[in-house]
Amino acid sequence: MLLEWMMNGHAILYTGVTLAFWSTILIVGICYTIFDLGFRFDVAWFLTETSPFMWANLGIGLAISLSVVGAAWGIYITGSSIIGGGVKAPRIKTKNLVSIIFCEAVAIYGIIMAIVISNMAESFSGTTPETIGARNYQAGYSMFGAGLTVGFSNLFCGICVGIVGSGAALADAQNASLFVKILIVEIFGSAIGLFGVIVAILQTSKVKMGD
Amino acid sequence: MPTQSPPTAGHIVGQQQLASYLEKALNVGPRNVVLFLQDKMSIEDFTMYGGAFGNKQDSVFPNLEGALRSSASSVVLPAVSWPASNAVIGQLQDQLETSPLYMDPETLSQLRLNASSPALLVFRLPYGIGADLMSAKEVLSGNDEVIGQVLSIMKTQAVPYTAIYTALRPSREAASLSLEAGVGGGRSLLQYRSPYKDRERERERQRRIKEKAGVYGPVEFKENENTCILLWAKGLSVSILRSGNWEDHDLTSSTFGEGASPKLHGSSCDKTKARLVLNYENVLGHRSFKLIFGMSQRYYKVSARRWFTLDIVELEYDGTKATFNGSRNIYAPAEYSYRCELVTSFRWPLLVPRSSKDPSNQWRVTFEDFQIQGFNVTGSDFSYASDCAGFFSPGIWMGLMTSLLMVLVLTYGLHMIMQLRTMDRFDDPKGPAISVPQTE
Repeated sequence: MLLEWMMNGHAILYTGVTLAFWSTILIVGICYTIFDLGFRFDVAWFLTETSPFMWANLGIGLAISLSVVGAAWGIYITGSSIIGGGVKAPRIKTKNLVSIIFCEAVAIYGIIMAIVISNMAESFSGTTPETIGARNYQAGYSMFGAGLTVGFSNLFCGICVGIVGSGAALADAQNASLFVKILIVEIFGSAIGLFGVIVAILQTSKVKMGD
Repeated sequence: MPTQSPPTAGHIVGQQQLASYLEKALNVGPRNVVLFLQDKMSIEDFTMYGGAFGNKQDSVFPNLEGALRSSASSVVLPAVSWPASNAVIGQLQDQLETSPLYMDPETLSQLRLNASSPALLVFRLPYGIGADLMSAKEVLSGNDEVIGQVLSIMKTQAVPYTAIYTALRPSREAASLSLEAGVGGGRSLLQYRSPYKDRERERERQRRIKEKAGVYGPVEFKENENTCILLWAKGLSVSILRSGNWEDHDLTSSTFGEGASPKLHGSSCDKTKARLVLNYENVLGHRSFKLIFGMSQRYYKVSARRWFTLDIVELEYDGTKATFNGSRNIYAPAEYSYRCELVTSFRWPLLVPRSSKDPSNQWRVTFEDFQIQGFNVTGSDFSYASDCAGFFSPGIWMGLMTSLLMVLVLTYGLHMIMQLRTMDRFDDPKGPAISVPQTE
């Protein structure tokens, strides 16, 4: 029975990844300790030597990709419910497209933020931490943070709206008067995506990259 | 002649050791010395052309081998440091107290040798320039014939002699280190070609042809019989910008190696500060020239450990001081020494001029394979060397981070795909198979 459980693809994948991760950390930690090279573990070095461009572009990438994941997830959940429910109750088709639009809005927030953030990335001529300057580092980290903020907010917003929309479609199929009330729940769910966008705009308001 | 023990494999015989070998040989053996001086020679020539791979009949050294076998005693030194072999004529001159006579086989047959009075007969043998395999073999074969002729003439004269076969410089150098130094002398993934590089490469190449042995001890500064500061480098050079050109001066030979005794007046060390002053004369037109390393150590609260830094590298000449600041990049825990492959002030500089108006902006310093320790020296050896090149470079970290992120995304995607199930509610294995007609 243990063998059957292990044969599951999920189990193998996650056991493998977890094992690799923890063993790397363990071995690296042991090496640092044995060779008395703990002084070489320098987080400040990592943060100042890695290029601000890496952080900025990670932020941009995460902004759009996580938003799209959220939107896609929401649409697929709602969409399948509408299509399934529409077999027996074709009248729900048109009204429930509103849920799809709420999910899509999340993706639009994501792409707008990605474009806004990417416009802030300018080139600078500095190679050492002193010549790069604190402002460029702040710009890099802010863009990363903003991208992360908008990405994760939109991810969960999209999933939320999707599941609520799916419920709305099925309830509507049963009883047409339920739909309008459920729409209010969806609106609350959609607001949280907007919060993420507002905070991301605030984070990048002071960004000025360049010389 | 008492048999002398050959040197251990891989050991490079330096000037002192060569002098002692020669002294021992000449004290007991015959004082008529026949010196065959070839332009270039390496042990590889004998391996390649001496029939060492079972093909004795192809050997180009039959006379040489015969002489070695038939002699009363012989010793082979497979690796002699290049300046030492260069100076062998001078050493023999000193030990025999006679001046060398440059000869060839014809003039030798006319010479009358005496067993009691010492004589130094030198035969110059060519090697050939840019030789390809064929001509090198011919040249060595020709040299061997000359050796055979000379030794047979000596035999007919019935005078005991000592024969030495050596060369002025090696014919082959060991593979050279790549000095494409990156950040702080470590690896660099982000190399760019600078206009200085080609000239530098030419200079490096010329320098590398010089003594490659490089096995010498560090410069030690002792305070009260205890070694306080240690410094070692494979190359130490300074350059000055004069009228648009960089003129350089190599300080390695006057600081390190046999026969170099750098003057350390003005050096000092105590528990928190160490200062090593190397005094030179006649460097780049300056009569007195000093190279000063200033280090300090203290306790740093955040890391809870003592660190030392190389604060300044100063060039003092004719009353002017050119100061480079090194405390930003050159540091190590106080118990260890600092070592770096390349410490320069111009290429991925670890040393920067103190200010934009400082005279050090006209200077460049280059330290190759540089190791320094100013505190906590026990004995006269360096402590563990904290290298300037870390295990991962910033580029590697950036790559790892983004790769890790993508692996996470991949894992997530795989998880989603693997939980897709096809509908099996209406499957009926016992029922009729679904038929999809081709036509309408």
